[in-house]
Amino acid sequence: MASPSDTRPGTSGDEPLLVVDNVYKRFGEGADATIAVDHMSFGVKPGEFVSVIGPSGCGKSTLFNIIGGLLGEYEGEVRIGSERIMGPHPAVGMVFQEESTFPWRTVIDNVAFPLELRGAPKSERLDKAHHFIDLVGLANFEKRYPSQLSGGMRQRVSIARTLVSEPRILLMDEPFAALDEQTRLLLGDKILQIQQQLHQTTLLITHNLTEAVQLSDRIVVMTYRPGRLKRIVNIDLPRPRTSEVVGSDAFGHYVAEIWSDLREEASRGMLDAEASVARRGARG
Amino acid sequence: MAAARPIGDAPEPSRRAVLAVRAGVAAACLVVWEAISQSGLFFGDVVPSTMKILASFWKLATFDGFWTHLAVTAGEVVASVAIGSVAGVICGIAIGAEPFLRRAYEPILHYLSPTPRIILFPVMIMWFGIGPESKVALGALSAFFPAALSTSAGMLLIDQALIRVGRSFRATRWQMATKIYLPAMRAPVLNGVRLGFGLAIIGVLLAETKLSNKGLGFLVMQFYSRFDMPTLYALLIVLFAMAGIFNALIGAMARERR
Repeated sequence: MASPSDTRPGTSGDEPLLVVDNVYKRFGEGADATIAVDHMSFGVKPGEFVSVIGPSGCGKSTLFNIIGGLLGEYEGEVRIGSERIMGPHPAVGMVFQEESTFPWRTVIDNVAFPLELRGAPKSERLDKAHHFIDLVGLANFEKRYPSQLSGGMRQRVSIARTLVSEPRILLMDEPFAALDEQTRLLLGDKILQIQQQLHQTTLLITHNLTEAVQLSDRIVVMTYRPGRLKRIVNIDLPRPRTSEVVGSDAFGHYVAEIWSDLREEASRGMLDAEASVARRGARG
Repeated sequence: MAAARPIGDAPEPSRRAVLAVRAGVAAACLVVWEAISQSGLFFGDVVPSTMKILASFWKLATFDGFWTHLAVTAGEVVASVAIGSVAGVICGIAIGAEPFLRRAYEPILHYLSPTPRIILFPVMIMWFGIGPESKVALGALSAFFPAALSTSAGMLLIDQALIRVGRSFRATRWQMATKIYLPAMRAPVLNGVRLGFGLAIIGVLLAETKLSNKGLGFLVMQFYSRFDMPTLYALLIVLFAMAGIFNALIGAMARERR
């Protein structure tokens, strides 16, 4: 990250596609101010899968919203190639943590939504939507409404809806946080498979260690408040991967290594939470 | 035992029983009405016999210009609901989407909303004349407030995640309104339109009875001035039926789809 400013797209496959450069974001003023993201810098290369991991409350979601262009007024820069992003950028496709399918639209109409906004002709909308619904494994559910699907299926609809817009960077914020562990591992397989097929450049925000190691090429570890970059860990597990990698020795080694970093941060977060509960209790 | 049963477990009342109770109440009202009518307590046609009212329906249907008056009133109501609701929903979305506009205008809407619209009727007469235009203006004003208030309140209830999805895909303002806000607020918006419809009927008919040359409200005053009570009652029943049908139509629209 010596001089990220001279990254030009196409000069080399190793040039980062997404650059987070010295990003700093503070909420509030004076004594009540919280530094959510403290001078974070990293890059994501084309085709790479990078995870940002950190304890709850470390500013991961703030970073997600900044990169997605939904949150402004921060210091530093986020660039796609050499272009500085100002607001939501067509090259970045976001998948949210919360339930975000449109309950009044069928699966296929949900997935076709970004194409509809763009004014694509109906045949193109349906063809592309079909393709990505198939990719996430929901081919038989196109005419269903979200209320008729399970939580995991709805999250796959959201992923297909984002992929259909063919983003150069897929940006996901704990997309499986609300799901149970088994569903989460299986959806991880789905993500790996999609990754394999599309060579999709992906940035995943998560607090889940297993998920991060299972999916990533590199993991960016964040500290708890202020959210700083603690370490970047390369995951040299063979690809193609499946959830079976979870049982391997190398996997356990990575999890242990990252946990030793994360443990300290997570326990600081927990103490902080307990202290704030105690303060509130004393006041009440 | 039955009293201790939670409400949620109460058996669905049978449709037949509901209909029977309704028919029973209606029949009882008719009997009481007829008894009062026959008793001679009231002068002449103040409480005419049910048979007489029934016969007046025919008189009404063949009355010169009745169908034109009906069409005028129906047209005025439909036009006022359309104009008032569209304007109300647009204002509601604008107020709901911009925190600044909400702070500035929502209290004003709340204060103005319960004021009786009829006091503005003289102004409307001067602006739009004594024809249907002034009635539509008054009706639209009545329909505006509930639509605007329930839309701006509905905007607060939209799932923020859906709004962020729209923003992340770079939806335009128009796309946000038509593809996210409105479908997400279908129930509150239609509820506001429905309330506005009720107020628009009141506004239009009140205005017609005050000063007009067309419409059912005008006709009501005509029959009243001739003391033709049986036909007046028949006309009122037609009005109630009309309001009921319109209301049922909007209700059906609100229920349709999920």
